[in-house]
Amino acid sequence: MSMNRVVSSLVALALAGVSASAAFAQGPAVLPIADVKARQAVEREISRAAAKGLPTQPLISKAMEGVTKQASGERIHSAVASQARRLEQARDLLAPSPTVAELVAGADALVVGVPASMLKQIRAAWPRQSVAMPLDVLTELVARGVPAKHALKQITTLMVAGATPTQIAGVGASVQSDVASGLAPDAALEVRARGVMSLLPSPAAQALLAPSSRGPRAPR
Amino acid sequence: MSRRAALWLLVLAVAQGLPRRATAQALPDLRIEAGYARVRQAGPDAGPDTDAALIGVLWRRPTESWTFLANANVTYGRNDLAAAQGVAAFSVPWRIDERLRTEGGIAGAQFSLRGAGAGGNTNGFVRQHLVTAAGGAWLGGGIGRTSRDSRTSFSNVSDLGIWGRHRFLYGSVSFARQESSDFVLLTAAGAPSDPSASRYVIDDLEFVVEARGGPHSLALSWVSRRGISATTMRAVAFSTSGILQLTDRFALTATAGRQLADAMRGLPQADLATAALRVSLGPKPLPVMQRSAIARASIEPRPGGGGDLVVRVFASDTMLIEVAGDFSEWKPLPLHREEGFLVARVRLQPGKYRVAVRANLGPWRAPRNLARVRDDFGGEAGLLVIP
Repeated sequence: MSMNRVVSSLVALALAGVSASAAFAQGPAVLPIADVKARQAVEREISRAAAKGLPTQPLISKAMEGVTKQASGERIHSAVASQARRLEQARDLLAPSPTVAELVAGADALVVGVPASMLKQIRAAWPRQSVAMPLDVLTELVARGVPAKHALKQITTLMVAGATPTQIAGVGASVQSDVASGLAPDAALEVRARGVMSLLPSPAAQALLAPSSRGPRAPR
Repeated sequence: MSRRAALWLLVLAVAQGLPRRATAQALPDLRIEAGYARVRQAGPDAGPDTDAALIGVLWRRPTESWTFLANANVTYGRNDLAAAQGVAAFSVPWRIDERLRTEGGIAGAQFSLRGAGAGGNTNGFVRQHLVTAAGGAWLGGGIGRTSRDSRTSFSNVSDLGIWGRHRFLYGSVSFARQESSDFVLLTAAGAPSDPSASRYVIDDLEFVVEARGGPHSLALSWVSRRGISATTMRAVAFSTSGILQLTDRFALTATAGRQLADAMRGLPQADLATAALRVSLGPKPLPVMQRSAIARASIEPRPGGGGDLVVRVFASDTMLIEVAGDFSEWKPLPLHREEGFLVARVRLQPGKYRVAVRANLGPWRAPRNLARVRDDFGGEAGLLVIP
């Protein structure tokens, strides 16, 4: 190999590693994607999402993740487009007026394989409260290998019984701790969910405490 | 051109080529290499093998808009040669399209050879690249001037090539045309030439295949040369080179095979074998063997809600560890050392987050103890819920 080819190859290799940071200095501050065409495509994707009333921050965050992970421009575009589709799907499933946090939680649940019908079931369990945290915990449990049906049953039982989002999140954290100790995820969920249930007032007590309430009890 | 002068130039070129396997990394880089070369000149005047010592320094400085590279070498063969050589090169990506990159460089050498006079070589090149994730192409050219004992010759070269990548395999095909008045090189290689011609022209067709596994690499090169004008020479050369990374800072490099004459730099044809030890001294070590590290995540709840995510990574000071997540817009978190671990700590409000860790620019991984989820980029991230 000739000398100039040696040097040129070396420098070309070096440049491949700094392309993202170089683009950061040269391109728009919001999306430092090196590939100009891909960056424009991502920006169009975000604009389309905004026009549909979808939140744009999750899409920007997805693009930034791709930049940090040095994904190709095409892959970043594809990831952002997929996230936008999931957000749109989550909006339909969590109707009528989901919050941004709920949309993100719903989209992430779909990523790990939570069936779309389960998002509707979660919404049905808490029609007037934010289901972001229950969805987040469901997502984490399913990602840990807990069968989705089993996880959904435990979480919706807690929701209907009047557990607060913090208590439901606590179940997820406890399961994480149990799994780290060697317990199977679904067994840990069973135990932890029962533990929370034992702290909740009985349906009769709920009726006495909140005689005028209809439907699930508001979180404490 | 004397035999000794030709030998030192050849050794010099090998020393200059040793650090060529650097991988992409946006970090300043300083390396020192020291090694041994054994050289056998080709052609009818070939003498006994020559032993030489090699010492080289390489400095690479990447910025957000360009990269600069400088390399200096000293070559010494007892009773035969002492020489110093330097090269400076730059590469600049285009603003309108990052796939386009222009690079250029100059090189110079001065030498004083016992019993073989003094002289030098200067050369420069410019090249345009198209680089994508899976392949690319280049087109370029260069000129060179070689003088020794008041005899001066000029050369120029034009070359173009394409390269591609499939998983860990890289391959390239290139064509180069050299035009030169340096007939000494032809004679040294045993090639016939027209004594009445003022310049000769030769064409090279080169194939290179390289396998890369982390910082390790093994490359095979095959070159076919054919005389076009003022020479009927035909030659084929096969060579191999490799890098074995031993630790974060130390690597072994080696080359073996035939080097065809390079008129632009005045390098003669020869068979050679080299071995060198590379030491990385930069602020961050070069790509290292270890491309993963044991990272554990834990959540420390705080009274009233929220908590601290703590990621502990078992890693030496020489490893480059990055921890990032959606809570930091995927910008790496600062790390500090605690009892042998590199630790990242971040306070989070209740909610769901994703976090990932990578070592030495390797793949992003989910820390242990966390649920693993796909990340849409072919990798993974850790998922956590803060109560």
